[in-house]
Amino acid sequence: MTRLFAIFIFNTMIANAGVEEYLRNIKPVLKERCYACHGALKQKAGLRVDSAENLRKGSKGGDVLALGQAEPGKLLVRLTAADADERMPPEGAPLKQEEIKAIREWIAAGAPVPQSETAEADPREHWAFQVPNRVPLPGNAGNPIDDLLEARLAKRGLKAQPPAERTILIRRLYLDLIGLPPTEEQLQDERRWEAIVEELLASPYYGERWARYWMDIWRYSDWYGLGDEVRDSQKQLWRWRDWIVTSLNENKGYDQMVREMLAADEITPRNLETVAATGFLARSYYKFNRTTWLDNTVEHTGKAFMGLTMNCAKCHDHKYDPIDHLDYYKFRAIFEPYHVRVDAMPGELDLAKNGITRVYDGNLDAATYLHERGDESKADKNRKISAAPPAFLASGWEPPKPIDLPLEAWRPDMQEFVQNGYLSQKLARVAESEVQLKKLKLDKAAQERKRAKSEGILPVKGEAILTDDFSEPRPDLWTVFGSDSRYQDDSLSITKPSLDTTYLRSKVKHPRDFQPELKSKMSGGQKWETTGIPFDVDESGDNSHFVYTSVFGAKVHLAHTIGGKDEYTQAVAKRSIKLNQIYTLGLKVRDRLINVSLDGEFLFAYTLPRRQPGAVQIMAYDAVTEFHGIDVWNLPAQVVLEKAGDAVTATVTAETIKLAEARLGLAKAEYAFAKARVDADNAALRKEGSGSAEAVGKSQIEAGLAKAKFDLFDSKKSAEAEKTIRKLEADLKSGKFPDREPLPFSQVSLINTPNKDALPSDGGYPKTSSGRRTALANWLTHRDHPLTARVAVNHIWLRHFGAPLVETVSDFGLRAPRPLHQDLLDYLTVEFIESGWDMKYLHRLILTSKAWQRSSSNLAADKKTLAADPGNLHYWRMNGRRMEAQVVRDSLLHLAGTLDLAQRGPSVTPSPDARRRSLYFFHSRDGRSRFLATFDDADVFACYRRSESIVPQQALAMMNSQTAAASAKQIAAVFEPNISSEALVRAAFSMILARPPAQAELAESLAYLKAQPKREHFIHALINLNDFLMIR
Amino acid sequence: MTQDDPFAMSRRALLQSTLGFGALALNGIMAAETQNRPDGKPHFMPKAKRVIWLFMRGGVSHMESFDPKPALNEFAGKSISETPYKSVLDASKIRKLRIPIKGDANGHTRTKIFPMQTGFKRYGQSGIEISDWFPNIGSCADDIAFIRSMWTSDNNHGAQVQFHSGRHFLDPRVPTIGAWINYGLGSLSENLPQFINIGPRFFDKKDAHYLGPAYDAVNLKIDPNNPLDYAKPSNGMTTAEQRRNLELTNKLNRFAAEQYPLDPIIEARIKSYELAYRMQTAVPDALDFSQESPETQKLYGLDQNETKSFGQQLLAARRLSERGVRFIQIMHGDGAAGAWDNHSGLKNGHSRLSRQVDLPTAGLLKDLKRRGLLEDTIVVFATEFGRTPGSQGADGRDHHSFGFSVWMAGGGIKGGVTNGATDELGYHAVEAPHYVTDVHATINHLMGIDPHKLEVPGHKRLEMDFGHVIKDIIA
Repeated sequence: MTRLFAIFIFNTMIANAGVEEYLRNIKPVLKERCYACHGALKQKAGLRVDSAENLRKGSKGGDVLALGQAEPGKLLVRLTAADADERMPPEGAPLKQEEIKAIREWIAAGAPVPQSETAEADPREHWAFQVPNRVPLPGNAGNPIDDLLEARLAKRGLKAQPPAERTILIRRLYLDLIGLPPTEEQLQDERRWEAIVEELLASPYYGERWARYWMDIWRYSDWYGLGDEVRDSQKQLWRWRDWIVTSLNENKGYDQMVREMLAADEITPRNLETVAATGFLARSYYKFNRTTWLDNTVEHTGKAFMGLTMNCAKCHDHKYDPIDHLDYYKFRAIFEPYHVRVDAMPGELDLAKNGITRVYDGNLDAATYLHERGDESKADKNRKISAAPPAFLASGWEPPKPIDLPLEAWRPDMQEFVQNGYLSQKLARVAESEVQLKKLKLDKAAQERKRAKSEGILPVKGEAILTDDFSEPRPDLWTVFGSDSRYQDDSLSITKPSLDTTYLRSKVKHPRDFQPELKSKMSGGQKWETTGIPFDVDESGDNSHFVYTSVFGAKVHLAHTIGGKDEYTQAVAKRSIKLNQIYTLGLKVRDRLINVSLDGEFLFAYTLPRRQPGAVQIMAYDAVTEFHGIDVWNLPAQVVLEKAGDAVTATVTAETIKLAEARLGLAKAEYAFAKARVDADNAALRKEGSGSAEAVGKSQIEAGLAKAKFDLFDSKKSAEAEKTIRKLEADLKSGKFPDREPLPFSQVSLINTPNKDALPSDGGYPKTSSGRRTALANWLTHRDHPLTARVAVNHIWLRHFGAPLVETVSDFGLRAPRPLHQDLLDYLTVEFIESGWDMKYLHRLILTSKAWQRSSSNLAADKKTLAADPGNLHYWRMNGRRMEAQVVRDSLLHLAGTLDLAQRGPSVTPSPDARRRSLYFFHSRDGRSRFLATFDDADVFACYRRSESIVPQQALAMMNSQTAAASAKQIAAVFEPNISSEALVRAAFSMILARPPAQAELAESLAYLKAQPKREHFIHALINLNDFLMIR
Repeated sequence: MTQDDPFAMSRRALLQSTLGFGALALNGIMAAETQNRPDGKPHFMPKAKRVIWLFMRGGVSHMESFDPKPALNEFAGKSISETPYKSVLDASKIRKLRIPIKGDANGHTRTKIFPMQTGFKRYGQSGIEISDWFPNIGSCADDIAFIRSMWTSDNNHGAQVQFHSGRHFLDPRVPTIGAWINYGLGSLSENLPQFINIGPRFFDKKDAHYLGPAYDAVNLKIDPNNPLDYAKPSNGMTTAEQRRNLELTNKLNRFAAEQYPLDPIIEARIKSYELAYRMQTAVPDALDFSQESPETQKLYGLDQNETKSFGQQLLAARRLSERGVRFIQIMHGDGAAGAWDNHSGLKNGHSRLSRQVDLPTAGLLKDLKRRGLLEDTIVVFATEFGRTPGSQGADGRDHHSFGFSVWMAGGGIKGGVTNGATDELGYHAVEAPHYVTDVHATINHLMGIDPHKLEVPGHKRLEMDFGHVIKDIIA
């Protein structure tokens, strides 16, 4: 009996020790390493190890502990297996020896079960996954926030701080709602609090302030790339930013905003302003890897709207939340078809300058496969995965239905503003060409009348100074440079194009006033094809002026050589110079005035900056040239020269007129072609009008013909143009029109489509959209979705109070413990949904609460409260917050009166001189404002919540930056210069800190100003104060 | 100095602070994380206090630097498959690669063997073979541990990010080794930042990422007049005026503190101004090379055009080290990809670039050694990948991720040793292969940091992020 009793006690002691061992050394290991697969979340092989009781139950295959047996049970076998494929856990290092030992001993002790051990709860029961309910309000404070918070304060015996001073509160409200500090007048506003709140909620600046918060959460980023190559995000993404600002100002429901961001192209395909919302998805564009792109889309759609870390299930089942590996790819499948494109916007139709970046389903057939271990090279192609949300949340999900898109969506060139825009562009070109031609004709007539009057008599040539017909070498006349010239066929030929200017230089110097004429013909070259006459050439040859004809440049141009370097002037006449044609280039030079003519036709007059008569040369640069003759005469006094105007006087030649006529012809033909295309499109796709493919074909040929005729004036293209003209004239005669459909106007936008390979070949985008994103949007914004509204309310609360109700704002999964104020969060969530997801309603509720209006100081706080809740978890006071980067800069500029409050439009380059609100600063991977970056500006990759650091670089920025220093100076200038120091100190404190100075502060400030009267320095000190940088 | 210092009163408080240099993050992102926030103390006894990290951007050829391969000369011009080492091209051996830019002109297999473009010889008592382009570093061989078996998984220059963070360019950005050191260890200086970057960066200009901007590197330029952003008043305020302003700011902040008792922000703000003020003089002072003897300046090559730029950066690094900067990161080589990226003209490029860095780097080692600083300063000389044993075009080498070399010296590292090896062609790291984070692990180990203890909730680190300490090179 005694013995038996002793054994019993002994066993109990062992069991107690075993229990302790289990709780202390075994359960934590199992939790860390095994629960993910063998717990509440999943029960692989039917085994749960999340309680001793469950361990004793064993797996599908039966017992795993082998209690009381000599051979180890399955649990120990698998934990200690030598073969890595056999061993558990499958990932990471094996359990440590001492951990195995503890388990073995616990089993040996009979696997005793601790009292009242509960297994893990079903993860689907997690608080955040339940539809929120509105709890009955415990009090009657008039505001549910106060009701709920005060009840909890009372329960804990905590005492709240009184409201902040009125001016501090008004400043808090302005900075909170519109991000701009109040003026003195606004600070003294004596209206009811609610009236001020309403006024600011209605302010257009509200949308800008709050847009920046959502831009953080939704990862706003302007494009990044090398040159014009877009690597990250997209160009024109600012239209999405503008949509955010506008939507907030219009108080669009949050649910509608979510729907538009995910699927506006399906929901309102005709409304481009709304389609801009899909910038949210376009922003995830990543040039180099589609999987990276979609990974970003999945991760941030999950985090931003649901607070779900979907990304944790990319490689394996989620370790904490009930999201398995397959769920990840089901979610990806929702996005699989989507791509990005740029469409035209009204106004400028050139997509390089203007447009809208939006998404569309471009690849409806793209399949989604599961990537083993998240490795895209290991896609399981045996199984196509269809679009769906994680199974545990799927209530409210309606399977996607394909959506037929309107014509304007899949043929954006068919939008009326595009058709009309293009046609009016073409018409404008016709009108422009007409005006130009008319003006040229009038000019020519006037010039001819004038010249006839001034010359009156035939031009007179003076005494000949140099004449050579180049029939034979004349070493008496010329010094020869280069070796590629030879005399043949009665001319001097430069036989090889050379980049060394090959030339003859005259042995005689020309007089100051003189008149040379050079006859030459070019027949080829590598590129430049230039010949001309240098004059005023000095001994070294390094200084001269020269006039040349250029085939490549299609011009006659005057230039200087100074110290061996060429400097090109504005004296130039555009003139098509053809190969194999003899031109006579003539100059008349009197003192510093020069007239240039080609084939006797005056081109331009110019005043040379300096003159020093020297030799004359003939030159050929990169041109196979024949020189047929040169004459240099004295310029007699009676010859009248054209005067140079301010710079250059060009003349209108017959050729100029012809060119203008050809341009007009081209403009008309192109208009006709464009019109025919629009008519044909309308006839074919809208069944409107009488357009036809035949008319398009005919006008296309006519446009081609007009282009060729225009090209005749371009020496490089003229030969080809002549051929084209012959061919097209024949085509026109024969009625043989092109049967190929011309590209739609949107071809440019197709080129801007990153996946243009996936597009249908008929020149448009897909006519249907998969409807998957609409299904996603509807599911997310279904009133019973437990996460969407909660996550949004938490974000809004955070921005008002500086502390969220749920700490992990982008993770509401199992790692987010039930929040202290779940009742409040849920109450507000239901209110929010029932108000129509009305954000201004929520702001109003918060801003009129006592909780929001409390002082942010601990001064005179209840000692017990301070001791019990120093971290202010119960919101017994307000949290002081540092202004976000944008608010720091905007406030400085606003106080200085230099902030440009213009709204919307393309992002502006950050610079100390920029004046727009910081929200409009270009913000991308590499293009960010240094000043803003110093104050924890949003990380472009992900920023669900800003950091709020205090680092010396911020002090340096406030002390030394131009933004701060210039603002200090401008703020100082706001005050009357003759007010007393005391008046200045009082006014400046009020303006910058929204409060009067305390006695000590006043005294200190006055002492400073006495020693150092520069007021801008005093202001500079004030904007460096902590109280300025803080929202108190 | 003290009478010029408007903050003289609060210095004691500063020195008592464990947070040290200005890195205070305020808001509650941290609330969930505060309990894990490091206290700034090493987790175990450190051997080193600081790191000077030299990074050659673009990819240094390992065969023509620290891993000479005579077989390349022997088989020059032949295809790899014609050599006894053709198995290096087996598909199974190249599976580690993840290609970020498909269809790029670079980052391909190059099979025609390109001979070494310079000679090599043995250096020091250890007799380690080093190419003729690095004779001065060679002269320090007995103080250096050469790691000849590095590998990475990116065949393009995103590998620069990977070498610093351990994560492939296609993965999300995570903190770099410099940011982790800055995050994990307290300050050694009361007037300088703990983490400094000098020189160009391209693929990622940030370091701290989820650790928060307080732990990013502060960018420094070798220009005493303008060494960092906002280093000097932009409005011509004199030092006296600035000091007076700071005194006023300081006093008014202290008055405000009475209205906001127990507010840690005000105290932190005051401290940050104090530090900023001192930084304004401390940084230019650290860059004032006139305080150095002509002999020292010459040691770093400040007297020669070719070596002056890098030499100044290294001399600055030493001066910053002495003044308590923890991690000095120096990037060598301009351009997006980095100057060492010699796809063509390798001989010309590498010989010129090595002349820029060889003498100053050796000068740094010698200078640290004679000052007794090398004992607790880790010097790392690294690059993102090596270059192909085969030729690209007529006279270049392509990117090569399967095997390349880096070296470490000082701070508890053994001198005169090599670790690991590539095969005869320099193709694969075949002996003791090291992923890039092994370098990080080794640094952490020497600095007394257990990186597991620094992990931030919500940001799970993977096994490969931690790497393995290269034990064989530890003294």
